[in-house]
Amino acid sequence: MSKALTAQERLRRMLAIVPWVAGQPDGATIEEICRRFDLAPDQLQACLDTVFMVGVHPYTPDALVDVIVDHDRVQIRLPDFFRRPLRLTPAQAFALLAAGRSLQSVPGADESGPLARGLAKLAATLGTDSSAVVEVDLGEVAGDDLALLQQAAAEGRSVEIDYYSYGRDAQEVRRVDPWRVQAAQGQWYLEAWCHRSEAERVFRVDRIRSVTLLDSTFERPAPASPLEVFRPTADDPRVVLDLAPSAAWVVGQYPVEVVEERTDGRLRVTLAIAAVPWLERLLLRLGADATVVDAPDGLAGVGEAAARRVLERYGR
Amino acid sequence: MAQSDKLERLMNLTAALLDAERPLTADEIAERVTGYAEGREAFRRTFERDKDELRQLGVPIESAVIAGSYPEVHGYRIDRSDYELPDPGLAPDELAALRLALQAVRVGEQSGDGSEALWKLGGAVATDADLGGGPVGAGAVASLPPDPSLVPLFSAVLDRRVARFDYASSGGDAERVVEPWRLDYRRGRWYLTAHDLDRGEERNFRLDRIRGDVTLEEPGTFTGPAPSTPEEPDQPWLYGDGEAVTAVLRVDAGQAHWALDQLGADSVMETDPDGTTTFAVPVTSWPAFRSFVFSFLDHAEVLEPADLRADVVAWLSGLAGEGR
Repeated sequence: MSKALTAQERLRRMLAIVPWVAGQPDGATIEEICRRFDLAPDQLQACLDTVFMVGVHPYTPDALVDVIVDHDRVQIRLPDFFRRPLRLTPAQAFALLAAGRSLQSVPGADESGPLARGLAKLAATLGTDSSAVVEVDLGEVAGDDLALLQQAAAEGRSVEIDYYSYGRDAQEVRRVDPWRVQAAQGQWYLEAWCHRSEAERVFRVDRIRSVTLLDSTFERPAPASPLEVFRPTADDPRVVLDLAPSAAWVVGQYPVEVVEERTDGRLRVTLAIAAVPWLERLLLRLGADATVVDAPDGLAGVGEAAARRVLERYGR
Repeated sequence: MAQSDKLERLMNLTAALLDAERPLTADEIAERVTGYAEGREAFRRTFERDKDELRQLGVPIESAVIAGSYPEVHGYRIDRSDYELPDPGLAPDELAALRLALQAVRVGEQSGDGSEALWKLGGAVATDADLGGGPVGAGAVASLPPDPSLVPLFSAVLDRRVARFDYASSGGDAERVVEPWRLDYRRGRWYLTAHDLDRGEERNFRLDRIRGDVTLEEPGTFTGPAPSTPEEPDQPWLYGDGEAVTAVLRVDAGQAHWALDQLGADSVMETDPDGTTTFAVPVTSWPAFRSFVFSFLDHAEVLEPADLRADVVAWLSGLAGEGR
């Protein structure tokens, strides 16, 4: 037996399965229904046994859903109700449209392909003339580079990338084994094995100036966990900051490890620091909204020092 | 068999309400729908729960006072035109493409919304067909962040309902009343593009700055045309209520290409022989632009206007512990 579904899970499916099967002139096989509606055969059987009893007063044969199971084929004949599935809820319509619009925004997507056509029909069903009620921009990248990286990841081929490391402010050519290309937080990222650092690294695709596909191949690793743009290691130094309420957004956008609310309304957070310039930028940006409470020797006073360095540029 | 009893009862109730030509009273439902236990009180409790459960699924159960009843008696029915999904007429390859999109893109918290939507459209269809040869291959995944205001605002856009919400901006929290036109995801955030009724013009709102619930007026409360061409700014320093000022920014040669990617070729005023580049940038949100400038550390400098340059100096002096 497969996992028992709750009555509500079964109802959600049946309100879609009954009209669909009824709309197929020759019915459908159990295998096809299970595949389309994500059910195991025994789960489907249990649902069909129930539907067999469904109808309206006075529950005479003409007022009941008529289910015929012949070997592996199911046919359903209906009285007047359940001819169409239930409308999409706003959350369901949004999930579909947002997913579709995201893929459509990827450079190189086919503007008149099946997805575009499907989304246009969906939008019409929702009563709007355009799927453009949801616009998605996953991040600016050159389409050619993105396509090459995706090809390399799919085929398991190594690449050479000319990469601008923002954290260290340096341009370098590296050889990497691309594992996955993902869009998150408004940017495209490449997760790869970096041969030079002999470690897994995450690269921002918009900072890759060129990609060269190499002939050498690699074994793809096991399916990766969700993308983590920066994965702190135990060796990374930690800095403790107090944030004013107006800087609380930092918690959502930086890899903050510990958050503690202070009695004065400030947040005390612990951040792992990957590179010094990265911390400098954050502190300059936050200004008086952040106070460094604790930092190891090498990082104490970096905010003040960076501010003085930039001030020199302004002739101060 | 309790699960089956309940599924059968919920389907019978839905069928009865869909089939009814006039609202049915609770007594009529107790009498005509099989699966309810004997006894008025037991029926009432189960019926209330069933009704809630169906409504949660989106089943539009209407409740109205039966005309001429005294004392007033409520009746229930489902209007078929509110219940039934019009057939979008999706071809198999179109349905397959939608399924692929749902697999490749994570929208907010993973919920069953996407798969249930797909069932309603005819279920998952094999995707081994070539879907147009785009660059999206196996493992291509994007994720869009969740926001509690997304679905209410999406309803508002679709049904043309005026929306009200409290919005935090540099001027403090204030209620906004808007005609929502479009949801935009860019730079890692959700924005609403809407006509602001109090300000009389188009505005962009960050969804993460909406405080509390969004309330919606009745459907069809505005008819004004949505803008036909999307015209939303791409840069955070263009989201703001103020008049645009032109900031002049000088960036060192080593960082100039990076600045160029962000600012666009149109903003270049001058490129020195060594590659040092001067940009003219329209700015409506000064704090956002200041953050951008600081991302260059000491490799960039605001030249004009004088008051913004003075603000940078004052900001840095505060940090450096000088000049206070």
